[in-house]
Order: sequence, then C-alpha cells, then structure tokens
Amino acid sequence: MSQQAIIIAAVAYLALLFAVAYLAEHSTGRFSRLTGSSLVYTLSLAVYCSSWTFNGGVGRASLSGLDFLPIYLGPTLAFLLGPVVIRKVLRVSQANRITSIADLIGARFNSGGLAALVTVIAVIGLVPYIALQLKSISIGFAALSSSSEAAHPMMQPLLADGALWAAIVLTVFAMLFGSRSIHPGEHHPGMMVAIALESILKFVCLTAIGLFVGYGLFHGFGDLFSQAMERPEISALFEYAPDRYGYNWIAMTLLAMVSVFCLPRQFQVMVVENVDERHLNRALWLFPLYLLAINLFVLPIAIGGRLLLPVDTDPDNLVLTLPLSTGQPFLALIAFLGGLSASASMVVVETTALSVMVCNDVVMPALLRVKALGLARKSDLTSLLLWVRRAVMIAVMALGYFYMRHDSAQFALVSIGLMSFVAVAQFAPAIVGGLFWRGATKAGAFAGISVGVLVWAYTLLFPSFDRSGALSINFVVDGPLGIALLKPYALFGLTGLDPVTHSTFWSLLANIGAFLGVSLAGRQTPIEQARATLFVDTENLDEVAQIWRRTARVPDLMSLVSRFLGREKAAAAFTGWAHARGLDPATAVQADAETVLFYERLLAGVIGAASARVLVSAIVEEEQLGVDEMMRILDETSRIIEANRQLEDKSRALEMATAELTEANAQLQVLDRMKDDFVATVNHELRTPLASIRAFSEILRDHTDMPDTERNEFLRIVVTESERLTRLINQLLDLSKIEASGAIPARSAVVDLAGVIRESTSAMYQVFATSEVELALRIEADPALVMGDHDRLVQVVINLLGNAAKFSPARAGLATLRLCRSGGNFEISVTDNGPGIRAADREIVFERFRQLGDTMSEKPQGAGLGLAISQRIVAQHGGRIWVEGARGGGAVFRVRLPAAPASSPAEKTLATAP
Amino acid sequence: MLRRTAKRDRLVGLFIAGAVLLNPPILNLVGGTLFGWPALYLYLFGVWAALIAATALIVERGGSGSAGRERTEDGDQP
Repeated sequence: MSQQAIIIAAVAYLALLFAVAYLAEHSTGRFSRLTGSSLVYTLSLAVYCSSWTFNGGVGRASLSGLDFLPIYLGPTLAFLLGPVVIRKVLRVSQANRITSIADLIGARFNSGGLAALVTVIAVIGLVPYIALQLKSISIGFAALSSSSEAAHPMMQPLLADGALWAAIVLTVFAMLFGSRSIHPGEHHPGMMVAIALESILKFVCLTAIGLFVGYGLFHGFGDLFSQAMERPEISALFEYAPDRYGYNWIAMTLLAMVSVFCLPRQFQVMVVENVDERHLNRALWLFPLYLLAINLFVLPIAIGGRLLLPVDTDPDNLVLTLPLSTGQPFLALIAFLGGLSASASMVVVETTALSVMVCNDVVMPALLRVKALGLARKSDLTSLLLWVRRAVMIAVMALGYFYMRHDSAQFALVSIGLMSFVAVAQFAPAIVGGLFWRGATKAGAFAGISVGVLVWAYTLLFPSFDRSGALSINFVVDGPLGIALLKPYALFGLTGLDPVTHSTFWSLLANIGAFLGVSLAGRQTPIEQARATLFVDTENLDEVAQIWRRTARVPDLMSLVSRFLGREKAAAAFTGWAHARGLDPATAVQADAETVLFYERLLAGVIGAASARVLVSAIVEEEQLGVDEMMRILDETSRIIEANRQLEDKSRALEMATAELTEANAQLQVLDRMKDDFVATVNHELRTPLASIRAFSEILRDHTDMPDTERNEFLRIVVTESERLTRLINQLLDLSKIEASGAIPARSAVVDLAGVIRESTSAMYQVFATSEVELALRIEADPALVMGDHDRLVQVVINLLGNAAKFSPARAGLATLRLCRSGGNFEISVTDNGPGIRAADREIVFERFRQLGDTMSEKPQGAGLGLAISQRIVAQHGGRIWVEGARGGGAVFRVRLPAAPASSPAEKTLATAP
Repeated sequence: MLRRTAKRDRLVGLFIAGAVLLNPPILNLVGGTLFGWPALYLYLFGVWAALIAATALIVERGGSGSAGRERTEDGDQP
C-alpha cells in the first residue's frame, strides 16, 4: 500500500472527525443533543485506552500473558469508589470552576506555585506518553507502507518519517479541537463527541481484528486456545504457578486506579468536561464495561500472532502485521485507523489539557506579573490566550517527538506508558489528602509532590536515558559513584521488583511520607484553614464568598472578564447570574462579595484560578476579614459541637417526654384497674339487692299458703332491698351529676350550717338509735353562714354521720358532731371511736368505691361512694374535707367551708331561703 | 439520603471484593485450562463482568427504585 494512500486515508479520517465535532457544536438538531448525554460522557472517558491499549496491550500479552490487564482492572476498581472519591472531585471542581488537575491542587492549597509545579511535572511526565503515541503511529505507518518486512523508522529519511507527519497532523488537529476559541469553563462539547466517536471506532476495529483472528485464521477461539496450549512456551504462561503475579500486579492495579483521575486527559474528560453530575452514575458501570469489551480480544490476538508470525516480529505491531501477513491489507488499514483513533484522541485531549495547564498556571500568571508588558490593561486578551495555548501544544508535541527520536525502539510501549503513570500518581496523595483531610497543608503537598517526583526521576526517568546510551552505563549497574545502595533499580538494596513497581513503591512512600510528615509537623495559616474547610466540607462551598469580603464596581469586573472571554459571552453570563439572583443586570453597579466571586470563577474557568485571583484582586477593594466571621467559618467543629448540643437537648426533652408518658401510662393503668373494680363493685352492689328481691318475690308468688307473719317479713325485706337499690342508684346519679357539673356549684345561696346540721341529725336519729351509738352535738357557731347548696351540704353531713354510725362499735359507740368557727371558715368535725383509719389510707378513702379492709373476706358495708360524693360537694363549695386520727383511736372527719361575706346581700337571700 | 448511603456502601463493598478477587494471592490460585481455554482468562473476565453487572444493578435499580418508592410514599399520605 502506498504511503500517499495511507496518508490520505488517515487525514480524511481525521477530517471526518473534525467535521463531526464542528457539527456537534454548531448544529441545533438531533446532533447537538448528543453533546450533553451520559453515553458521550462515558465514551469520552474511554480516551483512557490510547494506542497503548491498541498496540502495546497486545504486544505485552504476546510476551507475558495476562499481566497487561491490571491497567484496566484498576479503573474498574477506582470507579467502584466513584461515589466517594470521584463525585467529591467533581463537586469541588465544579464549584470552583477548576480547569485542570494543577488548578485543583493549586486552589485547594491556595498556591499558584504548587499549581505551576504540578504543571511542570505533568508536562515532563507525559512527554514519554505522547512520544509513545507517535512511535505507535510511526511503526504502524512503516509496517503498512512496506508490505514486506518493515524498514525501521529510524533508518528512514526525515521526510518519510511517519512520526514527524503524525506529530504535525495531530498538532494541527489538537489546535483545531482544543484551542479554536475560548470556552467558559473549558468545555469542548465538539471535541467530546469526536472523542466518543473515536472510542467507538477503536473498539469496533479491535473487535473486528479479534473476530478475524478467531474465525478467519482459526476455527474459533477454542481452536486457537487448544493450538496455543500445545506450544509449551505459551501454555507455560497459563499454568498454575503460586507466585506468578506478585507485587508487580498489585502495583500496576494501584497505578491504574490512581491514573484514571490523575492523568490530565482523564481529569479533562471526567471532571472539566462533565456537564451533569448524574452522568457519572451511568459511567460507573458503563466505562468498566467498555474496558472489558475492548480487552476481550487482546489475548486471542496476541496468542494468534505468537502462533502464526515469526518470533522476531515486533510484538507491539501484531494487530497490523497479522492481517497484512495473511493477505488482508484492507483489514490492516482498518487496524491502522483504529490505532490512529486511539493515538489521536489521546494526543488531542492530552495536549489540550496540558496547554490549558501551562497557559493558566505558568505562562499567564508570569506574564501578568510582568508590569512592563501592561497585560492587565490590554482590551482583548482572548487571542493572546489562544496563541499561548497553541504554542504550548506545539512545544509539548515537539518534546514528545524528540523524546521518541531519542528514545524510540528502546522500550516496549507499555513500559514507556507506565513511566508516565508513576509520574502522575505523585498527584494522588495531595488530591485525596486535600479533599478528605483538613490537616493537609500547602507545605506538605509541596514536599510530598517534590520528593515523590525526585524519586521517580531518579529511579525511572534517568535510567531510561541511561539505557538509551545518553549517560554512562555504570550509573544503573553500579550506582552513582559506585555506591551500590543507591542503584536506581535497586534502591537501598531492594531487589526482586521490576523497575516500575520499584519506582512506584519508593516514590509513593517518599511522597506520602513527606506529605503527612510535613503537614503534621507544620501549622496552617488561617487562610489555609479556611480553604481546607471549604474543600473538605463540600456543603459549604457557597460560603467562600463571605470569607473574602470584597466589593467592586460591576463595569470594572465586566471589562476585565470581557478581555478574556469576549464581550458577548461575558454579558450573557452576567445576565444569567443577575436573573438568578433577582438583580437587574442593567442597573447593578456595585458588586457584592458573591458577585465578585462569580466573576472570579468565570475568569478562573478561562485562565485558571491562580491568574484569576491575581487579576480580580487588582480591581477589588478587599476588606480585612473580621475575626469573628473568620472564626465562624473556620471553626467548623464549633458548629458541630453546637449541633451536638442541640441534639443532646432534644434527646433530653425526649427523655422527659418519655418519663411523662410512662407516668401517664401508670396512671392510666391505675384508672383502668379502678374502672374494673368499679364495674365489679357496681355489679355486686346492684345484683345483691336485686337477687334477694327476686328470690323473695318468687317465694311469695309460689307459696300462696304462706303464713301472714312470714309473708310480711319477706315483704319487708323486699322493700328494704328496694330502698337500698334506690339509694345506690341515687348515689351513682349524684356522683355523675356532680362530676359532670365540675367545680361550679349547682345552686348558690346563703346557707346556715347550724340549720343543716340540725336537719341532718334529726334525719339520722333513727340510724343512731338502731345501731345504739350515742351522738353528741356541739354547735359553737350559730348561725354559721356559708354560700352553697343546702341540700348538698345536708347530704355531706348525713354521709359523715352515717359513716360514724357504721364504724362505731355498737352499744359503746360515741360520735361527736361539732361546728365551730376558725378564722374565715366554718369547720364541721365528726369524731367516732371506731377502729380509725391508717395514715396511709387517709387519702384514698375519698376515692370512688374505695372500701377499706380486705374486700375479699369482708362484706362491704356500702357502695363506697359516700365519701367520694362528699369530697366533690365540698370541693364545689371551695372547701376542704380530710380525715385525721382521733385521740381515742377513732377517726375525725373535718369539713372546712369558707364563711359567707358579712355584708353580702346574704340577709335578704336568707329570708327567701328554705 | 439513607438510600444513597446504602448504595455507596454497597459499591465500597464491591470494591473490597474486587480488590481481593482480582489481585494476588487469590489470583495465583487459578491456573491450567478449562474446556481448553486458559482458566485464568476465564476467571479474570468472569469476575470482572460480575463486578460490572453488580455495579449496574446497584446503580441503576437503586436510583429509579428509590424515586418510585418516594413517590408512592407521598401518595399514601392522607
């Protein structure tokens, strides 16, 4: 196949991609809806699979079996932690308009220097990775252009050098995709669609090759594997071996886990280009699924290559040489385009991300600081920004090309890629620590990243130069100056690991150690503390405005932002913001702290947080932060303590409520039991007279020949029992009437208590006579006027007298009724010489149906309602009834009622009273 | 809120299971062939696919399921 044809096919393919990107950004139809979908987001994440997957993975698999797989298992595991780690990175980055990984670290530790350091490391670390893509394209190009044995790319004249052409074409496309115009927030929707399309293509291409190998060259995969197992050098790769995979596998998994968000291009597609946090949910399983699917045929292709191709074939080129050597040049072209897709997407996104980092975190802050250039006063800086970025892209690409020229063919693709992985893994401790640990300090992050990168360079990067012949070979074999302990591949005598694992271990150990050690030993400034709180507690992101109380004039801010974003975009953004806050964009002149922050973030989305802060601080009036406000925001713990305290109060209140409820419940239980007693007693009290009435009535009916004396006796009993029944029913009715009427006396008139007592005693005379109890009457106040209901008061006195007659011993009984005046009250006391009432029972005798004594063994002498009724009547009259022990052993019931007012219209009422 | 935490915890549990199953020393227990295929190949892709399926189940069903439940709960309120 001629070189021209291949170049035309490749350029046409890339042009098609660009057309897709352009359409996605500019059309309004169905095409534009693609840009914000979770599927495009997931597929753009697959930029992770560069030509390294496409060619390097197969190469590694053909040499050593499945140990290429941790590179894809790592991201699967990392995405399982997505809801914890990645979501946090997303939220923090979106709230702060983070545009790159350098920006994130710089913003977290409030340090432009740190961002610049991260940027420099990223560029150094990723140059080999970009070189790898160029190398992969160039060897593919070479293999394809000479159908026979591929001439070595190094040997070709410069103009025929595929890598140079690839570098130039890819640079142009990177500039077209990534730096055509300035987008707020660094969103490149068109680029994302193109990357997604490339992801589909590389998957389709690799799958096509896989199916071709399986069914075109073999009779299915079972045939392929069974043939492979007959070859001892291949079957040895899959036999049971208890120590086949060790630290190397674990280290690769770890590296891949970390790289999936630390690689600048991954950060770009995963965080910066994310337009909707919910897309991550779908990507959590769809992205690992893509990785699985694209790797499904890697091993069969590799084994097929091992079986069919001569041993000296370049393993990294198997995907191309397999179809070529079996007479399928068209399939080989498809494979080449698949590899090109993988390389192109990686290079485009990586250089875009790197150019944004270098421009925003190194070049612009430096240029803005140089007063002589007068940049801060220039009216339109968008073109400057774009050209800085394009220059950075060219520079990065050139570095990659020269590294490839210098180092090419020295390492397998996978080894070069892993070198970059270890470099970017140095950012992970600062990011994870910075987002989850409030105590992380700027100095700690500085120390960790620097030390980690130095160890990486010493144990991995320099030896790679050395191997390629730039340094003396003794450095690696003997150690510097012959010191064996410092051998870069066996630092401090640590052997038995491959160089990547060795470097991963030492660099991350040094990194994490320095990061933790310096952070713990150091002290945070208040601003650092504020930043830490804001980044660790994602919920508080909106409060950042209140930390810096800055004000400025809107026109000033507007002209500043317009210079970088263009007037129209800036105006549109501000109008949207003003509407959201209910301001009128036309009249708003003074910008409050939040508006200033909005502008700063808008600007940060274009030129990075560090530069944005420098620029905005030049035109705002910054107020020193009040100590109290500072403390309020910083001292998050105090708020937690406060919340804690409130929680304690609440639980205490709850405990009290519970206690009250328990008490109420106990009361209810007592009442319930009393109700049961009540029903039982009423039942008993009503049934007993009824039963005897019925029994005697039946006798009278059935025995008509009964003697008259007997008949009279029976009739007398019936009458007595009926009376008892009537009495009981009356009492019950009384009680319910009194209880229903409550505390308000039924009838209020002036009543003479002396009269009441005389009336009652005459009514009770017969009772005392029958029970042979003597009643002594001592009226010491006559008249004793109170306000009340005459009949009710009579009832009370009769009740008390009835009790006295009932409980005094027959024949020797003596009851005393005394009425006297005590202060503003009149007091009636009824004393008997009966058994008395125990002190403990003196309260409960007034309850309904409370009968003292053992109710099981003794027949109750009454319904137990009398005292309850009396107590309620006395209470209605505003008086009090209680019981004491008498001197002789009996009981004294005392009733105290307030005397009627002397000058009341009592006399007149008395005249009309009955 | 509770739902989301449960979902997150399940994914963290899957992570732990995956980290154990897909790394040595468990990984080194697999070897030889199964139906003529390398057992290690089948094991790795099998566990991998199972992890992805479980993730999909947790993420997709958890999301819509809880929303639906919330709605019906609201509807039941008098």
